Amino acid sequence: MNRSTSHAVRIVLILGLLGASVFPIYWMIVTSLTSSANLFADTPQMLPDPSQAFNYADTFRNTGVLTWLTNSAIVAVGTMVLSILLAILPAYALSRFRFRGKGGVGFLLFATQMLPEAMLVVPLYAIFANLSLLDSLGGLILANTAFTVPVITWILKGAIDGVPLEVEEAARVDGCSRLDIVLSIVVPVVAPTLAAASVIAFFHGWNEYVFARTLVSSQELRTASVGLASFIGELSTPIHTVMAIGVIYTLPAVLFYLMVQRYVVAGMTAGSVKG
Amino acid sequence: MRPQASLSPKLAARPERAARLDGSPWTPYWFVAPVVLFLLALQGYPLLRELMLSFTQTSLLTPQQSTFIGMRNYEELIARPDFWHVIAVTGIYTLVCVVMAISLGLGAALLLDRPFRGRGLARALVTIPWAAPPIAVATIFAWMLNAQYGIFNYPLKLMDLEIGYESWLDNPRLALPAILFTTIWQIFPFSSVVLLAALQGVSEEVREAAQIDGADRINIFKVAVWPTIRPTVTLLCLFITIWSLRRFDLIWVMTQGGPIGATKTLVIELYTRAFVSRELGEAAAIGMVGLSIALVVTLVYFWATQRAEKAEGRR
Repeated sequence: MNRSTSHAVRIVLILGLLGASVFPIYWMIVTSLTSSANLFADTPQMLPDPSQAFNYADTFRNTGVLTWLTNSAIVAVGTMVLSILLAILPAYALSRFRFRGKGGVGFLLFATQMLPEAMLVVPLYAIFANLSLLDSLGGLILANTAFTVPVITWILKGAIDGVPLEVEEAARVDGCSRLDIVLSIVVPVVAPTLAAASVIAFFHGWNEYVFARTLVSSQELRTASVGLASFIGELSTPIHTVMAIGVIYTLPAVLFYLMVQRYVVAGMTAGSVKG
Repeated sequence: MRPQASLSPKLAARPERAARLDGSPWTPYWFVAPVVLFLLALQGYPLLRELMLSFTQTSLLTPQQSTFIGMRNYEELIARPDFWHVIAVTGIYTLVCVVMAISLGLGAALLLDRPFRGRGLARALVTIPWAAPPIAVATIFAWMLNAQYGIFNYPLKLMDLEIGYESWLDNPRLALPAILFTTIWQIFPFSSVVLLAALQGVSEEVREAAQIDGADRINIFKVAVWPTIRPTVTLLCLFITIWSLRRFDLIWVMTQGGPIGATKTLVIELYTRAFVSRELGEAAAIGMVGLSIALVVTLVYFWATQRAEKAEGRR
């Protein structure tokens, strides 16, 4: 193969890759902007039809999507805040201290990756019932945080590993406590990774389904993932409305992700690729 | 994976100095205590209860009336032929996810590694599937796979192929491939992003030296690229295996394990046992089997990496 052919092949492959990555999201948008009549036409409508934009207004008016999104946002932000608060100090300790039981803590963090949510949901249901945490967004936040905190801790540890000790030593000489050092010196230095970790925790809360489906039963506490899933196999809601909800649920997350992806990728790979 | 030579003597002495910085020997324990307690309460204790539950017969309807029956749940599981079917589906699902997500991820990473115009944008766009909520992904793919109006069937319909009227998710032979296709679409960007980062570590010198020696692309890959990214690939294998064993949302929403059990993985079977048949004890036993598989995979991974490190040390 000569140079220009291989160059062309490469461009075709890249375009194919991008098309495959973007197409389902594009198709969700197109379907949400297709009239009911055209949905079932012999030839699918390939471009969005702007005259169908009223479907979005109708969707907001006629479905619970606004409540679901609010609930998802509360769960996502709660999971994010709690994960970060819980993860900073252990991440620092795992990076900077040598202490008996450190390996055990590391193993505990890793072991949580092996537990399926679907398995823990039964005992969690019983425990939450005793603590009156069932059917509450707070309970959901706690359950989600149990799955995000290990990952977040690991990512932050990776970032703190890269902070030179010299940065801390001066403060140490000045008599600052460890806690002061972490909060006023280490946290600002690892701020980009902290932001990335926050985004990862936020997405976990935003996307989560198993707990949201089982630990919450009230209609008005449904998250968007549960609300959207409730339409599958149900015939009374038109498909372009379902897709509009899908778009409203997906697009803000994807756009937000695209804005911050540089930091997320940096944070994530800092935690996972260093071996 | 930083080369030894780039470590300044100052940095190399780091652990000792870090240890000397300690004030009270209790500080690290105060720092890790909240997370440890939190995880023990929300992961450890539930796990223990699940283990206890697996030795009982307990109904979701009357959880207070729990009868201890020893190993009977496990014995019955092993005796049931459809349980081995579930294991097989789980195995296929996991294996195909790992192989495809990593090979597609590596292919994408290699395509996006070398500079070209718009590379930043391309790298961002490729990660879109990973950023999309799994339930939204399940919803859109279920629609695209629809028998009559799905876009996937449209080209087949144009070619007047009989298969064009096939409903993918309702067909026992096509449902698992359809679920796999959806899952892989969603997860391959993760491995591609991680591998792109790993590719940064490929030494330009080794690559160029191989080029000068007249090595073709495959050989350059073997000599310069593969040795650098191999630890990352192994780690990805471990993580994707564990995540595939855990995967619930997408499969449940698209097929609920059907048709006739064609997409029933361990966690789907577990969930069905617990919340449809309402047999908490049996469900717990299934969970323990799944967890044991994850543990074995992890141990094999650690054993293999240790061996690889030792072998490299000897060379």
